[in-house]
Amino acid sequence: MRSIWAVAINTIRQALRLKIAAAFIILLLILLPVMGVSVTGDGTLKGRLQTFVSYGLSLTSILLCLLTIVVSVYSLTSDIKQRQIYTVITKPIRRFQFLLGKLLGVALLDIALLFLFSIIIYGITVFMPGFYNATATELTEADNEFYTARASLAPPDIDVSKEVEEVYSKLKKAGQLPETMSYNEIIKQLTSVTKLERRAVAPGYILPLLFTGIKPIGPNESLFIRFKYDVAVTPTDSQIIGRWLVGDYRQIQYGEKSDTPIYDATYKHSIRTIHEIEVPASVVPADGRLCVAFANPPINNTVVFFPIEDGLEVLYKADTFTGNFVRVVLLIFFRLVFLASLGILAASFLSFPVAILFCLVIFFTATFSNFVIESFNFLGRNLSSVYSYTVKPVIQLLPQFDKFNPTKFLIPARLLSWILVAKAAALMVCVKSLLLLLIALLIFSFKEIARIIV
Amino acid sequence: MDYAIETFSLTKVFSDWWGRDKVIAVDDLNLRIQYNEVFGLLGPNGSGKTTTLKLLLGLLYPTKGRAVILGGDGADPKINAKIGFLPEESYLYRYLNARETLDFYGRLFGLAAKVRKMRIESLLDMVGLKAVANRPVGTFSKGMARRIGLAQALINDPDLLILDEPTTGLDPIGTRQIKDLVLKLAERGKTILLCSHLLADVEDVCDRIAILYGGRIQAEGKVKDLLQTNKKQITTSDLSDTAVERIKQILQDEHAQCEITSPMDKLETFFIKTVAIAQEHAQPTSGAVSTTQIGDFLAAASSGDNILDKLVSATVSEETTTETLKTRQVVPTEVPESKTDKELLSKLSKTVEPAQPKPVIQNEKIKTESVEPKTFEKEHVKKSILDRLTGRFAERDEHIEQAEENKSQTGDAGDA
Repeated sequence: MRSIWAVAINTIRQALRLKIAAAFIILLLILLPVMGVSVTGDGTLKGRLQTFVSYGLSLTSILLCLLTIVVSVYSLTSDIKQRQIYTVITKPIRRFQFLLGKLLGVALLDIALLFLFSIIIYGITVFMPGFYNATATELTEADNEFYTARASLAPPDIDVSKEVEEVYSKLKKAGQLPETMSYNEIIKQLTSVTKLERRAVAPGYILPLLFTGIKPIGPNESLFIRFKYDVAVTPTDSQIIGRWLVGDYRQIQYGEKSDTPIYDATYKHSIRTIHEIEVPASVVPADGRLCVAFANPPINNTVVFFPIEDGLEVLYKADTFTGNFVRVVLLIFFRLVFLASLGILAASFLSFPVAILFCLVIFFTATFSNFVIESFNFLGRNLSSVYSYTVKPVIQLLPQFDKFNPTKFLIPARLLSWILVAKAAALMVCVKSLLLLLIALLIFSFKEIARIIV
Repeated sequence: MDYAIETFSLTKVFSDWWGRDKVIAVDDLNLRIQYNEVFGLLGPNGSGKTTTLKLLLGLLYPTKGRAVILGGDGADPKINAKIGFLPEESYLYRYLNARETLDFYGRLFGLAAKVRKMRIESLLDMVGLKAVANRPVGTFSKGMARRIGLAQALINDPDLLILDEPTTGLDPIGTRQIKDLVLKLAERGKTILLCSHLLADVEDVCDRIAILYGGRIQAEGKVKDLLQTNKKQITTSDLSDTAVERIKQILQDEHAQCEITSPMDKLETFFIKTVAIAQEHAQPTSGAVSTTQIGDFLAAASSGDNILDKLVSATVSEETTTETLKTRQVVPTEVPESKTDKELLSKLSKTVEPAQPKPVIQNEKIKTESVEPKTFEKEHVKKSILDRLTGRFAERDEHIEQAEENKSQTGDAGDA
């Protein structure tokens, strides 16, 4: 353990004294406060906060990711290339200890820098209302929609497989199946169409949706209905009038008398953008079964529907902003741990420039993992078996940075639950980083250290 | 019998990317190095010396055969804990200063903070880098880096010291110090494997040598055995022509051929002396300060329950005094005088310590060659000749006694 620690400290010294870290640190130290002062967003306090946190955290995350890659790769490759490793590895230290020391050093450096910059971002975020003399309404808005951590609930997923099968067999009988598409693709498309139908409302109709397990922090808090309209026929002013009823499911659906009040209001909102309606939390019944009903008045004269992905959800305050912020920073840390392991793996068998390139490719692929995975799935649909046993597992090993994107949670003040944090830790650190590290240890243990390969 | 290092048909073939054999660096090497032996591995460039060391230490894996080092594997941490290794170049972390460098290596050995601190200070003293201990190693000259490299190899008080070209880049004083150090460490019971192509280094310190060429051992044995000749060499201070004639006469009586020359002072000796004078005048330097700090280090180290260090401290302090004494003598009087009228003290001594500064600059050298094979009786006779010679000159010149004393002191210290 002592020798691991010695290597770790040496790695940190290397990063700091060779000024690898300095460039990144200085850049962030200048940029973060400047951004804090200069951001405007959409002009409101909430807009400023969202823009600042979004850019600040993304920048910190990206720069620290790059720093981690550079430091972990450089630290090991330079030791090998400049041959300091000759004097180190001939001391009573096992090779895995040497690598662990390097990893520990990079991780400690990351923790320190991440801590520093998170504190700066957090401080600027918390004190920003003071800088702008924000109005009371702006403050309330920011309090409700930014300085909080809201859990979100989507309407329960409805099983439509039977319906889809029926439609499929009907189409098949009629001979209307498109020939260029495979069975799976047709089913997939039919499913999404059917699901969307379930979330469409014709003029003059009402769509009641059931949300279960809603537990706001207190009755004085607010619920938020977050939604996005989409329409079959675009109205002239691109706006939709909607009447929203929120309350006990039994009362709205079956007309039973309930103890809790029913929220009932009508708004006009633009289509295809996300809106939020604030509803007092007192409407939530004791059993947590809440009905959110949307009535489409005939005056709209079009079918209104809510997109599957982000069309409709209920948000309620479940934790504080601080708690959420800490968890978000943890997500960034896991990302850095993964990259440090990746850097060490790359450096264990590649030279500096190649290893850096390798890591950057993985980093950017991971940043757009969703896109990458989908495009590979699309490309691989014709070579199903070959693909699913070769490329697919490898692709699955990519960490999904976009899935655990920190700004995705902080900007809409969405709760990042400990469960999700644990999931990210398990996936990125315990499985993927560990796997990389094991491979690195294996390569490094059998490597001839003094072998010069030109 | 147990060996400190033993190799069994150790072979290393470097192959190219396609697996084709390219270079046979070490070829069927069977090396046996005993405990408490100073072993020199000699050879021209590219003869496989360094590759052999790397194989021993597990930095490379043998193609065939195996190496046993201190009864185990060179890659085993338990074995590593007892080895000190100085690679062919001092590969150091440029951004660490000298003290941090040693601290880092000390930590790798898991030394306790107190022990580490003490050893670091002693080692810095020993290699003469205490004054520059807070400068980054990257700013050091090659010789200074070498000194830190050496200190690094000694921080764990190793049983086996593996030195690859220890004196490259070092000034003659540093070279001398390393050679002295090697001898002292050997005295303390360490095993030392020295790898060099600087023959003078090897010759001065090694008990046994092996000459490597093409990855194979070409010659192996004790240095004394390998270099033994039947010649005898007598070095005296300046002699009058009559004295030389008389010596010739004596030698002729013994049927020995002789050759008389005036040997030059060794440049090494002259250099060391010059620097010593500069140091006495406290000339400032940004480089390594070469003093006889070895003694200080060893004495200091002995307080840290390092018994072996105690053994050496005594002899070294003695050496220190003689050296300063001599320097003082040399500067003002002897040098100009000797150049002019060559009337100097004489000294007959069989062993001459070349590296130690001597009060006399110009010596008359008499080389004799025995005509017949050496026998015990002849030895005896020659001894009596020597006695006679010394006896006579003692009567003639009153300076002799003093010179004799100086000389013998120098000799003692050198032997130590």
